[in-house]
Amino acid sequence: MSGTANREAVFPTRQSLGLMKAKLKGAETGHSLLKRKSEALTKRFREITRRIDEAKRKMGRVMQIAAFSLAEVTYATGGQIGYQVQESVRAARFRVRSRQENVSGVQLPAFESYITEENNDFGLTGLGRGGQQVQKCRDVYGKAVETLVELASLQTAFVILDEVIKIVNRRVNAIEHVIIPRTENTIKYINSELDELDREEFYRLKKVKNNKKKALDEAEAEMKARQALEGDKMMLSGKGGDEPSDLLAGEDEKDVIF
Amino acid sequence: MEGLFFNVHSGYVEGIVRGYRNSLLTSSNYSNLTQCETLDDLKLQLTPSYGEQLANVASPFTTSTIASKATDKLVQDFRYLRAQATGALAKFMDFLTYSYMIDNVALLITGTLHERDTKDLLERCHPLGVFEGLPALCVASNIEELYSIVLVETPLAPFFKNNLRSADLDELNIEIVRNTLYKSYLEAFHDFCTTDPTLKGTPTAELMSEILGFEADRRAINITLNSFGTDLSKADRKRLYPEIGKLHPEGSLMLSRADDPEAVRLAVEIVGEYRSFFDQSGLGQGPGSALGGTQKSLEDIFYQKEMELAKDTFTHHFTFAVVYAWLKLQEQEIRNITWIAECIAQNQKDRIGNYISVF
Amino acid sequence: MLSSYGSSYSYPALAAIVIGSYILFTGDGEYFNVGKFLEETSPYSWAAAGIGLCIGLSVIGAAWGIFVTGSSILGGGVRAPRIRTKNLISIIFCEVVAIYGVIICIVFSSKITSIPTQDLYHPENFYTGYALFWGGLTVGACNLICGVAVGITGSTAALADAADQTLFVKILVVEIFGGVLGLFGLIIGLLVSGKATEFQRH
Repeated sequence: MSGTANREAVFPTRQSLGLMKAKLKGAETGHSLLKRKSEALTKRFREITRRIDEAKRKMGRVMQIAAFSLAEVTYATGGQIGYQVQESVRAARFRVRSRQENVSGVQLPAFESYITEENNDFGLTGLGRGGQQVQKCRDVYGKAVETLVELASLQTAFVILDEVIKIVNRRVNAIEHVIIPRTENTIKYINSELDELDREEFYRLKKVKNNKKKALDEAEAEMKARQALEGDKMMLSGKGGDEPSDLLAGEDEKDVIF
Repeated sequence: MEGLFFNVHSGYVEGIVRGYRNSLLTSSNYSNLTQCETLDDLKLQLTPSYGEQLANVASPFTTSTIASKATDKLVQDFRYLRAQATGALAKFMDFLTYSYMIDNVALLITGTLHERDTKDLLERCHPLGVFEGLPALCVASNIEELYSIVLVETPLAPFFKNNLRSADLDELNIEIVRNTLYKSYLEAFHDFCTTDPTLKGTPTAELMSEILGFEADRRAINITLNSFGTDLSKADRKRLYPEIGKLHPEGSLMLSRADDPEAVRLAVEIVGEYRSFFDQSGLGQGPGSALGGTQKSLEDIFYQKEMELAKDTFTHHFTFAVVYAWLKLQEQEIRNITWIAECIAQNQKDRIGNYISVF
Repeated sequence: MLSSYGSSYSYPALAAIVIGSYILFTGDGEYFNVGKFLEETSPYSWAAAGIGLCIGLSVIGAAWGIFVTGSSILGGGVRAPRIRTKNLISIIFCEVVAIYGVIICIVFSSKITSIPTQDLYHPENFYTGYALFWGGLTVGACNLICGVAVGITGSTAALADAADQTLFVKILVVEIFGGVLGLFGLIIGLLVSGKATEFQRH
């Protein structure tokens, strides 16, 4: 029987039965709580997955436009402006803030981007020609980076949530499939053991009773035999025969009411 | 008169330039290019013109490879012409390379200012603007040294000497330095074409005066439009306008006072042609009017006009201006090919027709 | 271009003024005598000068034309090799100009015969000398201009042909008309010298 293997090593006592029952109750509560948490996380997870999908599609579009606007810049300026732009930048125009978001007790980092408008380090690039395209390209790439930041934020949340959901699900499963059955098994075992003990006790009591009864019967039989012998003796003496009739005569007296 | 003596020095070069011009892509070539589905198709279509350069390119074929190979061809052709040129034509062609030199020197100045390893920058320089003294500029470690080396080693010395001090290189934005040099270059080139004894009164002077004037006007307008919203002051801006072209002096003065595209439009209205450009581009019609989109941008219209001028130049005989025109046309062709390649690579077929073809 | 060549014109003029002033101020002003010069100059030298100028100018014209055309054909032929054979016709037109000169020279030189000096200064012979000189000069000048004209047109024809081959015939027509100019010179040269007889005794 599997039940015998899958149980805790406890002495089948009433006390441990009590403990086990408490444990089972605790496990069930924990299970339902974790289940709910897992559900909440999964809901969140699904939402993030959907948003990642959206963001990725958006990124695809935005990056395409951005790459294309770079092509436009190359077309308009007729040369490579990369180095110059790279060198003329002094401070970041596009910045990212990070904050924590709490979802069912899980800390998710969220990135927030913002643009410092006054910062325009390479505003003069392409002054002679192509300046408008350069500025347009910068704006488009700003948007692209914004999308990337959004995506990065979602991706991080995705990975963390994934991990957490896995852990929670493992716990839920562990409780559901290991701890609860085991506790139940243990309880069953303890119960059966206790029953067994009960039955043994009962049987023994019965035996003892039987033995006692037998002894009693024997003693009675002996007594009767002796009495009979004595009665014979008394009958013989003629006096002992009146007494039982006396006892039977008392039968018609009134019932005692309690 | 020029018919009698021009060919003595430059007949061969002119013939070759016209040959080069004939091998430029025509609109039917372009329409074939736009039909291509992949870059390999494009390569196949380009084989008649660029077969030699593209033949040995390994298979992952990118737009930048196409652009660099096409530029190689341009440089190769230009160097051949330069080797054939003598006398005034040689000087003329040197002038053509100065504009690339300005870009290269500006690049090196940027590198030196930020204390980068300028040796890496040499590879980024435009090959047409490479001159003997260019690697010498890499030796300079500070701005003062760089300035003196520029004065001694480069043909750009006159442009630097009269307009910039060594401290300016440090203080001014590199774009302003570059545009100051360019202005000075345009004026010097114009001066060379109109006053050089061998060029004065020839079709070269006439054509180049028009082309350079247009170039100057275009720069002035572009600088004005691009400077809106930046910290370039009006006085500084005025200093960047070349003192040639149809807009000089009244238009330049009005441009220097302009605050918005509308004012620019008013400033250029004295030249009917430019006004129609503004009308076409829809610029200056109202605040924040969109550039690009389905409408042609002003930039595109200017390029179109430049190409028209270059094309017209080829109707003249016995003039150096064809070399300039060819160089511009070839550059535009490279830009067009890159554009089409980008459109194909990025699958943006709806914008593919945005190239400029004049033949 | 003019200014640079202008300076080279001034040197002969300066030399002429210096020599003229020298003659005038040293009391030999009568040396400058056109009539005497014309009378005393040998008709032979007029004739020979005419023939020399004729062939010389014609050859200069042809050579100039060939140079102008040739350099353009070479340049254009680099990228469009098909033009080189067709455009030889322009070179031939230039060459024809020299041939006109040669023809006239042959005709003229047949009029030069050796005669004794005392018979030379005769009006007939003077006529022959002057006719050959001016006829030669006419033909030479015509051919020089014609050669340059054909050369420049030929150069244009070569480049136009390189650009668009349908243009070749059209520009060739222009070139032919240019080439005819030399023929006019040839005809006039023949007419002028036609009435002149050989040098002869009288």
